[in-house]
Amino acid sequence: MAEKLDKKKKVKVITKEKVDLQQLIAAPTGLSVVGQPLDRTDALLKVSGKLSFGADYSEEGFLHGKILRSPFPHALIKSINVEKARQIPGVVAVLTAKDVPGRNGFGAIIPDQPVICGDKVRFVGDAVALVAAESEKIAQEALERIEVDYEPLPAVFDPIEALKDDAPKIHEKGNLLSYNKLRKGDVEKGFAAADVVLERTYKVPFLEHAYLEPDIALAIPQPDGIMLVEGPMQAPFTVRRNLSAVLGVPINKVRVRQIHMGGGFGGKEDSPIDVGCRAAVLARHTGRPVRIALEREEVTLQTSKRHPMIMKIKIGAKKDGTLVAFEGVIYDEQGAYASLGPVIPPAGGSHIHSMIMMPGPYEIPNVQVDAYLCYTNHPYGGAMRGFGAPQVHIAHEQVMDELAEVLGMNPIDIRRKNAFKQGSITATGQILDQSVGLIDTLDSCAKAFGWDRRYRETGYIDKERTKRRGVGIGMGWYRTGIGTSSDGCGANVYVHEDGSVLLFTGITEMGQGAFTVLPQICAEELGVRLEDVRIVQPDTDIVPESGPTVGSRSTTLMGNAIVLAARQVKEAILEMASEMLMVPIEQLEAKDRKIYDQKHPDKSVEFREVVAKCMAKGKRLIGQGWWAPPPASLDPETGQGNPYFVYTYSTHMAEVVVDIETGEIEITDYVASFDIGKAINPRAVEGQIEGGVAMGIGYALMEEVILKDGYIQNMNLQNYLIPTSLDIPDIKPIILEVENKYGPYGAKGIGEMPNIPATPAILNAIANACGGRVRSLPADPETVYWAIREKDGELKKYENSF
Amino acid sequence: MSYAFKDFHWTRHIPIKDYFLPKTLTEALDILTEYQGRALVVAGGTDVIPQLRRRELDAEVLVDITHLPDMKSIEENGERIVLGGLVTHASIASSPLVRKKAKLFADGAGCLGSPQIRNVGTVAGNLVSGQPAADTSIPLLALDASVTIASKGGERVVPLTKFFLDTGKTILDCRREILTRIEFNALKEHHGCCYLRLSQRKALALPILVCGVLVKVDKKRRVIEEAAIALGPVAPIPFRATRVEEKLRGSPVSKETIEAVGAIAIEESNPRDSLLRGSSLYRKEMVKVFVKRGLQKALAQGGFPVT
Amino acid sequence: MSTVKISFKLNGRDMSVEVLPNTLLVDLLRDILGLKGTKVGCREGECGVCAVLLDGEAVNSCILPAAKVGGKSVVTIEGLVKEDGQLHPIQQAFISEGAVQCGFCTPGMIMSAKALLDKNPEPSDGEIRQGISGVLCRCTGYRKIVQAIKTASQAGNRE
Repeated sequence: MAEKLDKKKKVKVITKEKVDLQQLIAAPTGLSVVGQPLDRTDALLKVSGKLSFGADYSEEGFLHGKILRSPFPHALIKSINVEKARQIPGVVAVLTAKDVPGRNGFGAIIPDQPVICGDKVRFVGDAVALVAAESEKIAQEALERIEVDYEPLPAVFDPIEALKDDAPKIHEKGNLLSYNKLRKGDVEKGFAAADVVLERTYKVPFLEHAYLEPDIALAIPQPDGIMLVEGPMQAPFTVRRNLSAVLGVPINKVRVRQIHMGGGFGGKEDSPIDVGCRAAVLARHTGRPVRIALEREEVTLQTSKRHPMIMKIKIGAKKDGTLVAFEGVIYDEQGAYASLGPVIPPAGGSHIHSMIMMPGPYEIPNVQVDAYLCYTNHPYGGAMRGFGAPQVHIAHEQVMDELAEVLGMNPIDIRRKNAFKQGSITATGQILDQSVGLIDTLDSCAKAFGWDRRYRETGYIDKERTKRRGVGIGMGWYRTGIGTSSDGCGANVYVHEDGSVLLFTGITEMGQGAFTVLPQICAEELGVRLEDVRIVQPDTDIVPESGPTVGSRSTTLMGNAIVLAARQVKEAILEMASEMLMVPIEQLEAKDRKIYDQKHPDKSVEFREVVAKCMAKGKRLIGQGWWAPPPASLDPETGQGNPYFVYTYSTHMAEVVVDIETGEIEITDYVASFDIGKAINPRAVEGQIEGGVAMGIGYALMEEVILKDGYIQNMNLQNYLIPTSLDIPDIKPIILEVENKYGPYGAKGIGEMPNIPATPAILNAIANACGGRVRSLPADPETVYWAIREKDGELKKYENSF
Repeated sequence: MSYAFKDFHWTRHIPIKDYFLPKTLTEALDILTEYQGRALVVAGGTDVIPQLRRRELDAEVLVDITHLPDMKSIEENGERIVLGGLVTHASIASSPLVRKKAKLFADGAGCLGSPQIRNVGTVAGNLVSGQPAADTSIPLLALDASVTIASKGGERVVPLTKFFLDTGKTILDCRREILTRIEFNALKEHHGCCYLRLSQRKALALPILVCGVLVKVDKKRRVIEEAAIALGPVAPIPFRATRVEEKLRGSPVSKETIEAVGAIAIEESNPRDSLLRGSSLYRKEMVKVFVKRGLQKALAQGGFPVT
Repeated sequence: MSTVKISFKLNGRDMSVEVLPNTLLVDLLRDILGLKGTKVGCREGECGVCAVLLDGEAVNSCILPAAKVGGKSVVTIEGLVKEDGQLHPIQQAFISEGAVQCGFCTPGMIMSAKALLDKNPEPSDGEIRQGISGVLCRCTGYRKIVQAIKTASQAGNRE
């Protein structure tokens, strides 16, 4: 590693970007664990129903915690009287704002959400009191006896309205939480040089994660004064940080343990802070374990959502489809509290991510984006699979198709013309110097889908002329990592004298497969089998700081850290093996529980033997790795810089049949291609692709948190619709591995990418089929019906006269 | 608007103090009488239990009628088919008799909810829920169904057209009465039928529009002798579009006939704007589309395709 | 406080319990009998993660009063594994086809699949999708679940 001398203090400083990246790309010949579609390590427990989720832990000894909620979207709390509630036998505590021991505020970025509201409430469902009782029934009774006197305030439910001077102020500092801008080149000049200029506005609603497992937190005060909080969660360290402040104790007096999640999708990045802090405050107060388990409706009511947006685009292109200018305005509705919206410098937080991603994966010389993040008296936006990228993809992918139509171009050609290649410069001025497989995904998808033929065959499919077929493309990109200065991952690897391995990381399992993929990387690196590595349940007392399991960062960042940790141990092991075999270290290879001479492979020794000897001789079998990406940068005035160090790329193609008399959509075929650098476990990657696409289809066709005057109308799964097995077609995934320097064996992230281009692919296919362009989601039957009629049912020029 | 505590607070438990499983109809009716309205009849429970949990319904005790004898059969009786009050949607969907002689009913029952719901939910329960778009109400209305209601005072038979009063309300008092039998027309030759459903996803979805169509055609003259069109939820209750039926009676089997009735169907419907189900205007348009399609498909199914 | 006595068969074994009248089957299984394999997702019969078999038919246990199972046979996910620990072919197929991600819908999904295959041993893809249409999955997009059920049907699933 290179050293940089700090001239003033003459101290040696090792800069992190000098980490030898070459070490990371060298894949040994013939991987034996990585790249294999191995069975998940937790599948057996899950299919036999033996894996314990949060609600499966015994309720014995726990008090039941419940939350009293505001029935108003915006109101002052004039007074609150809990005496009647306290008197109910079996009620152990009824708490109000003054009972919060430390900071009465939590939040993943800004702690602006009260644990218990004291002076005012800001959305329907805001917490006004907490109750702990011997049974859930008694706790519910207690809630009913608490008397609160509210003075309703005028409320605001629209981000543009919220920005007006006379809008009701939701927080002291005003309703504009963040304004961010991006300036590249000169859009005025760009538009002047354009042959075609298009202006469009797109609108997307609140979405709900709808993970099947409702939130739950268990707060257990320990005899030694430590507060232990357990539960399903994606970000144990963020939960711990908040608990420490809310309880008013140092971080090392709080312990957080992740329980296996029944789905997260970004929602469990911050909902556990909400239920966890509240359970902990009750536990601290009562001195007893407290369990808060949310009912499904409460999950919808109080936890974070995907940000709704109003996106305005003005785009200019030459006759041949070359993009010359892009001007975007985003009104990003934050809702009542900050959650994961605001900026974590330089490029963290969902809002600035949306701004950066807004122009799409296209080379555009002149770009201007203005993005406003606004509070409203609605439920709040947090992180939901894509973190601000899905929304802007819906806008830019549709506008590309609308542009193609005006220019008379095939949608695939306009994309091929402008799509990122190696060496392209992004809207933030970043040079994509490696791992840019975007056009590879476009070509492979088009080939598998049969784009050229199908594009020509759009038109009626029945002789009654009620159903039309169409095809659509969605192209996209997504970062690996979160773009903050503090992004980094730590891993510990312990090898035992019998060759078994313990792996300690703070990355959590929510179904995406981290608990299989990360041990695979560890096993490959050490030269053992997957079943030899056990990954330890993330516990903040035991695992190193790892950041949250978000941003598609786990495989890459934690994978790199694991590689570094394993190599520390491997050094000792290879040294010992070299002694035992009398072979120089450079000639040795470790694979499949053996260490052998590459030149004479039958000269080998068992991994276990070597390790036992190391142990006997006091050699190091503990490895520690820390990996942080190349530093992110983004100028706050111009939005120029390198916000994220590598991107995953993807192209989706969908075929739909539209019933033009009713607006109903059927998806008849779907192909999705991804450049992910390296698939550590191809079957797990396929699973993420198929599931992500299904989520994107839901966004396109049926998902919407319906709000009226601040009240959610569809709180249960009966009325918040997510796709069933009959709504999703057979999805064909294609995995491409374009060389990437920055990941373990070249791996980039996959978790969020699949659900991003899916939505615009469907919307573009609908428009292609019937001319109906849906610019305000979801494209449910009625919306499609009106969209068709708006354009006078104008039909594509290629007619299939069946 | 005013909201109750229950609109923002949920609990897992059902506030029921007792659960009875009577073995005879008399026993069941006796318990209902004893509790004077504080008891609620439950069969499959797929509507009642969630409503109790959400505090949309309240009851002190439940009277589970699923052990009552002689209520699970599906039989042909002359020109009618007779169902016991405990027949489930799944039984209807898979019954060879119903699939042959009342196909639109089998189709409707097969669309409802999900496999798990269909396995325990009863047709009678679906009718009693009084929902304007119940997947069994619509076909049964088209099939001229009648129901037998048992109470302490005796039995009465009521045509289904008189059964529904308002959204969620029927003439049956589910705290005092039990629906024991349903009977409806068995379709014969020269009958065609069709069941159509519009919803936002393909399973577990409440419908935006449901339409049941029955036609009886005079084969020789190629004229529609009788027609039955049932629609929902485009009014507070599921209903028969009698004016459309009148217009169809005696009309030739032709495209013109079908085109002519769309507008009449719209006039008979009166849906409200709904945030969850869609606008009134759209649903009216869909009535027109569905009545037309329903007729086309029913005629085709009966062997009289309209070219 | 009145109670109800329920005698039924659970995973092949005779069972007799006395519970409060408002007990739902899912809570009887999970909280009273300690069988946590069956999950709770919505308490409305909408998501299907609570699906178990009642006399061989899939039902949503979250909205089924426990008293209803008297005299009947209930099979839960715990009942699928044989005495010697061997997995049911459906369970095996779910593992090998990668049909499990977060695992929360898995018990309900497997039980629905069993109900389907017991009645229809060689279903088409469409019939499989119909058979599991009452269980929501947010993770997998259903594709590998359908493949797993197909694989299980080919492996011979009569148990």
